[in-house]
Amino acid sequence: MTMRPSVRDAMLAAVPSLRAFAISLCGNVDRADDLVQETLLRAVANIDSFQPGTNMSAWLFTILRNLFRSEYRKRRREVEDSDGSYAESLKSHPEQQSRVEFEEFRVALAKLPPDQREALILVGASGFSYEEAAAICECAVGTIKSRVNRARTRLSELLSIEGADDFGPDHATRAILSAGGRS
Amino acid sequence: MQTDALVRKAGGGRLSREDQRRLGDILQRVYDDVVRQGVPDRFKDLLSELDGHNKDDLDPENPAAHAQGDEASHASGLVEAKAYPNSKGSAS
Repeated sequence: MTMRPSVRDAMLAAVPSLRAFAISLCGNVDRADDLVQETLLRAVANIDSFQPGTNMSAWLFTILRNLFRSEYRKRRREVEDSDGSYAESLKSHPEQQSRVEFEEFRVALAKLPPDQREALILVGASGFSYEEAAAICECAVGTIKSRVNRARTRLSELLSIEGADDFGPDHATRAILSAGGRS
Repeated sequence: MQTDALVRKAGGGRLSREDQRRLGDILQRVYDDVVRQGVPDRFKDLLSELDGHNKDDLDPENPAAHAQGDEASHASGLVEAKAYPNSKGSAS
């Protein structure tokens, strides 16, 4: 296995953001780190398919996202039962006064459908453009925009409803939100 | 910042710019909270191990990786052993 130092450095540089993305996706730090590890293993094993000069970070995100989705299909039930684990996954936070709100937010984030969650994270936090996010998710730019809008709307709903834990997102509500969230 | 003060839109209409900004701020901070944790050692070690066969590229801070060529082989085998039938993914 040969890997140019620049390539390895680029991979290392992407790790913090990859972890944040992975935690956002699966809501559990340990699983997220395993996901990042699998991503790096696959990336190194397939390094020949990486085109020098292109975005290493986006390439790694694509691998991680595909790994997560294939795993998600196998473990759908488990993932859907993970409500709250995201909040528990990062217990310490320097900004104590914000902690409750952060945890509330993480729980809400975990309730989003995966395709909406990933779109929101990629565009809203990872700093990818709509175009880059569309490439990572292998869908149209308009689809990403729509998912981001739906995610925002759904999040605001979740965060403004007390006792949201008691109510799963019902399909009727989701359909209404979807219809209203078009860009 | 009051997350519970985020405005609920009757009928799930589009959010105001203000609400979008609030959501975006929280999201960014939650995300950056993880990013600030940097690169855990396990990933530095992993890449050094994977890179172990190429002696010129060894991380000078981790000469131990030099002796871990077998580990790298094992790790590479791990990749191939795992089945990811849909590695190309598909838009949903």
